[in-house]
Amino acid sequence: IWVALLLDKPKSTMDMLQLGDWTFNADNGYLEGLVRGFKAGILSEADYVNLEQCETLEDVKLHLQSTSYGSFLQNEPSPLNVSTVDDKLKELLVVEFEHMRNQAVQPLSQFLDFVTYSYMIDNIVLLISGTLHGRPASELIANCHPLGSFEQMESVCIATTPADLYNAVLIDTPLAPFFQECVSQQDLDEMNVELIRNTLYKAYLEAFYEFCQELGGRTAEVMGSLLQFEADRRAVIITINSFGTELSKDDRAKLYPRCGKLHPDGLARLARADEYESVRVASEAYGEYRPLFEGVGTNPGDKTLEDKFFEHEVALNKDAFLQQFQFGVFFAYIKLKEQEHRNIIWISECVAQRNRSKIKNYVPIF
Amino acid sequence: MSGKDRIAVFPSRAAMTLMKARLKGAQKGHSLLKKKADALMLRFRQILAKIIETKMLMGDVMKEASFSLAEATYSAGDFSLGVLQNVDKAQTKVKSRKDNVAGVSLPIFECVSEGADTFMLTGLSRGGQQVAHCKELFGKAVTLLVELASLQTSFITLDEVIKITNRRVNAIEHVIIPRIERTISYITTELDEREREEFYRLKKIQEKKKKMRDENEAEKARLQALGQRKEARNLLDQDDPDLLF
Repeated sequence: IWVALLLDKPKSTMDMLQLGDWTFNADNGYLEGLVRGFKAGILSEADYVNLEQCETLEDVKLHLQSTSYGSFLQNEPSPLNVSTVDDKLKELLVVEFEHMRNQAVQPLSQFLDFVTYSYMIDNIVLLISGTLHGRPASELIANCHPLGSFEQMESVCIATTPADLYNAVLIDTPLAPFFQECVSQQDLDEMNVELIRNTLYKAYLEAFYEFCQELGGRTAEVMGSLLQFEADRRAVIITINSFGTELSKDDRAKLYPRCGKLHPDGLARLARADEYESVRVASEAYGEYRPLFEGVGTNPGDKTLEDKFFEHEVALNKDAFLQQFQFGVFFAYIKLKEQEHRNIIWISECVAQRNRSKIKNYVPIF
Repeated sequence: MSGKDRIAVFPSRAAMTLMKARLKGAQKGHSLLKKKADALMLRFRQILAKIIETKMLMGDVMKEASFSLAEATYSAGDFSLGVLQNVDKAQTKVKSRKDNVAGVSLPIFECVSEGADTFMLTGLSRGGQQVAHCKELFGKAVTLLVELASLQTSFITLDEVIKITNRRVNAIEHVIIPRIERTISYITTELDEREREEFYRLKKIQEKKKKMRDENEAEKARLQALGQRKEARNLLDQDDPDLLF
């Protein structure tokens, strides 16, 4: 019936059904089904309202038991504290992701690897700064994010000088291409670790964007919009946060990922910006970003720009699920789970610290 | 109290003068120490009021600071590990100096911030403003903590000194001065008694002398009456007109 319908349809709608759609499910159908199932378990507005009513962390644990989280906190000794909840949530996500990664074949497996690179960047930066300050290796590794672990983690801790680190170790890690592109050996020594992190992330985003465009089809479309927003958001936030610091405009411009909608004009204007107004003007020139700047303020009760960005990110991620047969659902699922994680931790902190004034500051997803 | 003791001293007028001088000295010392104790007490109460105020403030500030940490972690992710790894030199240092109150030297701690802010770029790509806000609040908390620390050390030191001073004041008031007074009264009584003894002795001697003179007179009269003056002529006794005096 599919084929018959296909042959009858006029040419314009043929474009909507692409060749990849037919073969997608052979390799990736199980995982797409799985991830959509996971997505259905994401907490709803009603769940969040229930969580807001909690008085103690024990209540939170009780409410979470009736959601898809089940009894993940069952074996924790009381009194419960927020960092335990945090760790357990992370563990759950890691288990889900590992399962998906283990079942994936190319090119989905490489796509999922790209998703882990952002965590790897954080881990590597942590390891580098820890090693250069002489912290013990076991401590550093224990603090790394499990989704970003890679085999050469221990060898990063063995290197003693930045030279060693650069020549011997980083070359072997999966992040080697990002290092080669932008960070030289001197930079490792002198650059502030935050700058290293942001330079790596820029290279990563651009590489990921390229990869998705190569995959083509719907993946390119969906991931394109997601990654473009991420790039633009980083550019705007870096600009705003660099006012009043020692970061020069040139250095700042080097941190802007070039795969977003703001490239090249918006980025050029951002690079020259000196205060919040110029940033706002530069970004409002792009229609989708204008509503994000409205209603932003620093008064209590106002949303900050970051909050608006989080909301927009959630909206874009939800849209990713509207299309079938593309890899964007995996990326979107991870990001939505992270946002949910942040929401739960935020509510738990408000409950634990008995400060309910800002408990509504989370971003509801569904 | 340990008995009705007094200082062992030989009761003489010199000792009396000495004791009186000592009493005066003790009384002056007592009033000076009392003034010191009062000044210290005043400062003590001021510090106590300030400590209470600061502790209440500290509760609020810490609450705000931990909430801002939660906010910053929400926006920026878990930046605490990165911060902990990158610490090398202390940016905020505590300097101590001495403050003198009525002779007591109290340590005062001051918070000094030096060096550039190594963590200015933390949260550059996300949550930077919340991280900066968090930094500010915790900085305030640290300053407040240092203040509280110096108040508490002053409190404890002052407490010690006040106890010592009060002990001394009481000792002078209830032990030293009564002892000196008792010594003085003992000396006075001894001196009086001696005078009385002296007086009595003199009186007795006079009586005795008088008695002896009376007896002598009586004897002389008797012998004269008997007409036998067997005694030598007393050159001094005659009324010789030739003597000019």
